[in-house]
Amino acid sequence: MASDTLERTINKILDQTQERISSELDGALAESGKTLDGARAGLEAEYDKIISDGRKEADKIQKQIVGSSDLEARNRQLLLVEEAVDRAFGEALGRISDMDRDDSYAELVESLMREATDTLGSTEVVVYTSEKDRDVVGSVLNGFSGSQLADDTIECLGGVRIVSTDGTMTFDNTLDARISRLKPLIRKQIAAKFGVVN
Amino acid sequence: MGGVQYSKIAEIKGPLVIVDDVENAAFDELVEVETNEGERRLGKVLEVGNGKAIVQVFEGTTGLSVSGTSARFVGKVMEMPVSKEVLGRVFDGLGRPKDGLPDPIADKFLDINGAPMNPEQREYPKDFIQTGVSVIDGMITLVRGQKLPIFSGSGMSHNILAAQIARQATVVGTEEEFAVVFAAIGVQYSEAEYFRRTLEESGALKRSVLFLNLADDPAIERIITPRVALTVAEYMAFELGMHVLVILTDMTNYAEALREISAAREEVPGRKGYPGYLYTDLSTIYERAGKLNGKTGSVTQVPILSMPSDDITHPIPDLTGYITEGQIVLGRDLFRQGVYPPVNILMSLSRLMKDGIGEGRTRQDHSEISNQNYDAYSRAQEVRALAGIVGKAGLADVDLKYMDVGDSFEKGFLTQALDENRNLDETLSLLWKVVSNLPRAELTKVKDKYVDQYYQGSDE
Repeated sequence: MASDTLERTINKILDQTQERISSELDGALAESGKTLDGARAGLEAEYDKIISDGRKEADKIQKQIVGSSDLEARNRQLLLVEEAVDRAFGEALGRISDMDRDDSYAELVESLMREATDTLGSTEVVVYTSEKDRDVVGSVLNGFSGSQLADDTIECLGGVRIVSTDGTMTFDNTLDARISRLKPLIRKQIAAKFGVVN
Repeated sequence: MGGVQYSKIAEIKGPLVIVDDVENAAFDELVEVETNEGERRLGKVLEVGNGKAIVQVFEGTTGLSVSGTSARFVGKVMEMPVSKEVLGRVFDGLGRPKDGLPDPIADKFLDINGAPMNPEQREYPKDFIQTGVSVIDGMITLVRGQKLPIFSGSGMSHNILAAQIARQATVVGTEEEFAVVFAAIGVQYSEAEYFRRTLEESGALKRSVLFLNLADDPAIERIITPRVALTVAEYMAFELGMHVLVILTDMTNYAEALREISAAREEVPGRKGYPGYLYTDLSTIYERAGKLNGKTGSVTQVPILSMPSDDITHPIPDLTGYITEGQIVLGRDLFRQGVYPPVNILMSLSRLMKDGIGEGRTRQDHSEISNQNYDAYSRAQEVRALAGIVGKAGLADVDLKYMDVGDSFEKGFLTQALDENRNLDETLSLLWKVVSNLPRAELTKVKDKYVDQYYQGSDE
C-alpha cells in the first residue's frame, strides 16, 4: 500500500519534472529560434552591407584604374601630337628661312613695313632686320619717308622690327613674331590634320 | 591693332606698372611686360588716359626696374584656350599647363571675363546634384546651376570637404556628362598636392580640370584664377552640354588680392580696407553660375571662403551671402569635437533646395524628413543648453530623447568617412534613423503615411 503511494508520488514528480523540462526545452527552443531569427536578420543586413561596401570599393577601384589609364593614354597622345606639330613647325620654319628673296618677298616685306608703321602711327622709324633681308628691306624703305635702316641686324627668319626714333615704341613685325602670335591657331590646324581636333 | 611695345615706364608701384606715352590702349587689354633679361610677365590694363596706362602685373613686379622694363600691349583681352581636351589637365592660376604636358589644342579662345548671362534666358535651377555627403544631400541640397558657398574658418576641414565633393559629385538618373572644375586660390603646396592626388587616385581627375594658384604664387594672379576656371566651365556647360561643378577655394585669398591692388591704386578703402566695389566684383564671379534655356549643361558653383576670426559679419562672407543662394557653414565646435564634416546645419541653408527635391527629383519624403531633423536638432541644442544649467536629472523624458537625437544626428548622420560616398537612399534612411529616437507623436513635420513607411522607433 505504502509502496503504491510512493510509486504514485514518484510518478507524479517524474511527470511534473518531465512536463517542466519539456516546457523549458520548448521555451528554450522558441527562444533560440527567436534569437536565430533575430541574428539572421542582423546577419543578412551585415551580409548586404559587406556586399554593398565591396561593390562600392570595387566600383571605386575600377573608376580609379579606368580613369588613370584613360588619362595616361590621352596624355601620351597629346605628347605625340605635340611632337608631330613641332616637327611640322620646324619644317615650315626651315622652308620660310630658305625662301628666295625675290620680288614677291619684297612685296611681303613692304606690306609688313606698312602694317608696322600704321600701327606706330609714324614712318619716322628705325628699321631692324636680319642680315639676309638687309638688301630687300633697304630697297622698300624709299616708300617710307623718314625711315632708316639700323646698322645692327637682328636674328630672325625675316620681316622687320621697327622702333620709333626716340626709342620708346617698338613694333615687332618679323615673321618669327607673327608666327608666334598665330602659333595657337596654326597648332590647331596641324593637329586637325592628324585627326585630333575637328 | 595691338602689339606695340612701350619702353617708357613712368613708375612701378606695388603690383602696378604705369606706362607713359601710350596710344590706343584699351581697358582690360592684355599686356606682356618684359624685363631686361627677356623674362615675360602677363598683366592687364586697369586704367588708360592722358597718355598713360596703368598695368596690373599678374606675376608681380619684383625685380622690374623703370629703365629696363617694356610693356607690349597685345591688342586683345586675356583669353583662355578651351576644348574638351582640358579635362584631366592641371593648370596654374593663369591657365598655363602645370602638368608637364603641352598647351591644350584650343577649340576656341574665350575672353576670361565671360559674357553676362541674359536674365531672360536663365532657367530656374531645380535638378539635384548628389555630392555623396549626407548633410549636403539631405539637408542643404545642391541643385544644378546654383551657387552655394561654404563658409569656413581658418584650419577647418573645408578643403577636405571640397575635395570629397569634387571626387564624389554626380548627377543621378541621367546620361548627361558631369565635370568638375577646381580652382585653388592661394592654397599651400601641400593642399594643392592633396587636391591633385586625391582626384588622381579616385579616378575623378579624368572628368576634372584643376587650376592651382599656390600661396607663394603672386597674389595678383589670384584675380585671374577664378575667371579662367569659370571660362572653361562655361565652355563645357554651354558649348559641350556638360553639367559642371566649379569649386573655388579660397575666395578670401581672392578678396585679399583685390584689396592689395586697390591699396596700390590708392582707392578710397571700404570696410576693413576692401575696395568699395567688392560686392560688384564678387558678383562678376558668382553670377557666372546658372543654367540657360535651351542648353543642356549647367554651371554650379561651390565657392569656399574662410571667415577671418570665424566672423560671419566680415565683409567677404557678408557680401557673398547677398549674392549666393544660401550657405553651408562649418562650425568650430563640431570641428573641435572631431566631427567631419563639421557642418552647422542651423546656420546653413540652401535657398533652392525646395525646388530640387521631392517626388520626381529625389524622394517624396525628402523635404519633410529634412525639416523634421532640422526641428529636432534645433530642439536638441536647446535641451543641451538647458541640461548645462539644470543637469540631465532635471530634464523630462522627452527632453532626454531629444538629447539622444542630437548625439545621433552628429555621430550617425553628420559624421562621415572621407571616402564614404553615400547615396540619397542611405542619407534619407539615416535621417529617419535619427528621428526614430523620438516618440512617434513628436514627428509633427512628416505626413503619417511616410511615418508609417519609414519610422523605426517605438510609439511611446
